[in-house]
Amino acid sequence: MAETEFSFVVDGAVGAARRIRLAGRLSLAEGQALWQRLQQQLRQGGDLVVDLDAVHRLDGGIAALLVATRNSAVAAGASVEFVGAHPEVAQLLALYTPARGEHPPLAAAGVLARIGGAVAGVLQQARGTLEFAGDFVLSLGGALARPRSVNFGAVATLLERAGADGLPIVVVINFLIGVILGLQGAIQLHRFGGDPFLANLVGLSVVRELGPLMTAILVAGRSGAAYAAELGTMTVSEEIDALRTLGQEPLRFLVFPRLLALVVAVPLLTVLADVVGCIGGLFISVSYLELPPITYLQMLQKAVRLTDVMTGLGKSGAFALLIGMVACQRGLATRDGAEGVGRSTTNAVVVVLFGLVALDAAFTWVFSLLRW
Amino acid sequence: MRKILVVRDLVVGFDHEPLLEDLSFTVNRGEVFAILGGSGCGKTTVLRHLVGLEQPLAGSVHIAGRGAPAEALQPPAFGVLFQSGALFGSLTLLQNVALPLQQWTTLPADAVLAVAQARLELVGLGAFADHMPAAVSGGMKKRAGIARALALDSPLLFLDEPSAGLDPVTAAELDELIMTLSSSLGVTVVMVSHELASISKVVDTCIMLDRDAGGIIARGDPRELADKATDPRVHAFFHRQARPR
Repeated sequence: MAETEFSFVVDGAVGAARRIRLAGRLSLAEGQALWQRLQQQLRQGGDLVVDLDAVHRLDGGIAALLVATRNSAVAAGASVEFVGAHPEVAQLLALYTPARGEHPPLAAAGVLARIGGAVAGVLQQARGTLEFAGDFVLSLGGALARPRSVNFGAVATLLERAGADGLPIVVVINFLIGVILGLQGAIQLHRFGGDPFLANLVGLSVVRELGPLMTAILVAGRSGAAYAAELGTMTVSEEIDALRTLGQEPLRFLVFPRLLALVVAVPLLTVLADVVGCIGGLFISVSYLELPPITYLQMLQKAVRLTDVMTGLGKSGAFALLIGMVACQRGLATRDGAEGVGRSTTNAVVVVLFGLVALDAAFTWVFSLLRW
Repeated sequence: MRKILVVRDLVVGFDHEPLLEDLSFTVNRGEVFAILGGSGCGKTTVLRHLVGLEQPLAGSVHIAGRGAPAEALQPPAFGVLFQSGALFGSLTLLQNVALPLQQWTTLPADAVLAVAQARLELVGLGAFADHMPAAVSGGMKKRAGIARALALDSPLLFLDEPSAGLDPVTAAELDELIMTLSSSLGVTVVMVSHELASISKVVDTCIMLDRDAGGIIARGDPRELADKATDPRVHAFFHRQARPR
């Protein structure tokens, strides 16, 4: 049979129903025109008889649209009957007619349902974090009793990744922080003749606050995100389950080494951050205020006590624990494949950043009360 | 034109190192064609070359008269089911199937959903349209993958180990589906498999690859090969025997 152009003709009536004659080869290219005209006919109401006698070829997509049209008509209390179909066309229509009834796509959840779902999700995350912390403490006892169950062999590599590999960015950022702080401070101090006190401003700000905080933020962005993604991928690819079946506890095998690496690396990076931050202030002191370097260094020595340095390092240790705990917990709680890994990573970084700033504020408040 | 896939003197490999050479075969329209062979013999590698995901070291692949790989910006001439289903994890099953329709047809949104839903009904997943891929089983992922591959009424489907890792009942259902696609929709199926039950049930013609031989070691009706093959490697494959030494 020669192929003819697609045509759609409303042609008289069969009893009370309007008759539509379809002709030609019907593929998805004709789908838009066919669908719109069928919908137009449905909106006019009444029953339809679709004559398929002149349809010599039908694609599956068109069969799906014809069956969907019939289902819509039935739902609206009308009917659509297909007549004259050649055996192969009839077979295709039968194939696309669901045997156990149609399953229309569900409507999207409403706004309230989505808000409720989001709140429930946050509560579930909080619960998960608390459970993880509890498991961690319990596991710590097991690790002390059986130190060989901790994968200490991975610590050196992890330490290199979190510490040595992050060194350049920590140096550059903290030097610039020292420069920015120095420049802003120098402008104000110069107006009051307090040029030599730039060392006090930069030294204390960097050593007590900005050095530990900026270093922790950088480590969170590098290592925290990497841990969440790494453990998340291992979770969705069932590597964590495999580990459990091998008798290894993921907390001891994967989480402890990462925490240990961070607890060592972050304070060490912070020491470096303190030094380069102060050098940034020195740079401004010499270049902008034109003070001799020895003046800045002498003032710095007087202003910054060992207690200040230790306070900053204590904070950085706590920050390291926070980064490691949250990133590993988020990673191990990953669900739903590749998308879940992305979600866990983002979530870990956001929660850690918020947690770092909140923890720093809490430390500062407590230290000010204790006059440290 | 009877032939929908023509492969001539294909050489596949990695890093300029040939793995399989002189692969020449044709697939007729409406046929269920299988690429057979043991694990690691290069079946999936050949399939990836056929669909244009890898560049051959030599030779040519023509699909419906068109040279592969099919470039972007034109509707693909075939559908592909990957081993794992390869559904997009951030989309529901319905959205996965609707994606190629949105990309390559002018259908309005409600018609796209109607067609996508019908494809899922066809593979028995109508009730799971709003499920995320992570929430369904491996067999369901594969069936949804077939629905997505079928979305554009492609006349040719490439299936990579469709029934591997499935329970016998699910595997048999998938076999039924492949036969339905072939007999009712006239779809040509090229599948990679080493599942003997599926091969004898659904495959019309096959080629068998062997890595040590570096190419095709047998071709024809798999049932005849199972009964009459004299090559010990082919005989061992069809009769689940240890590899001859």
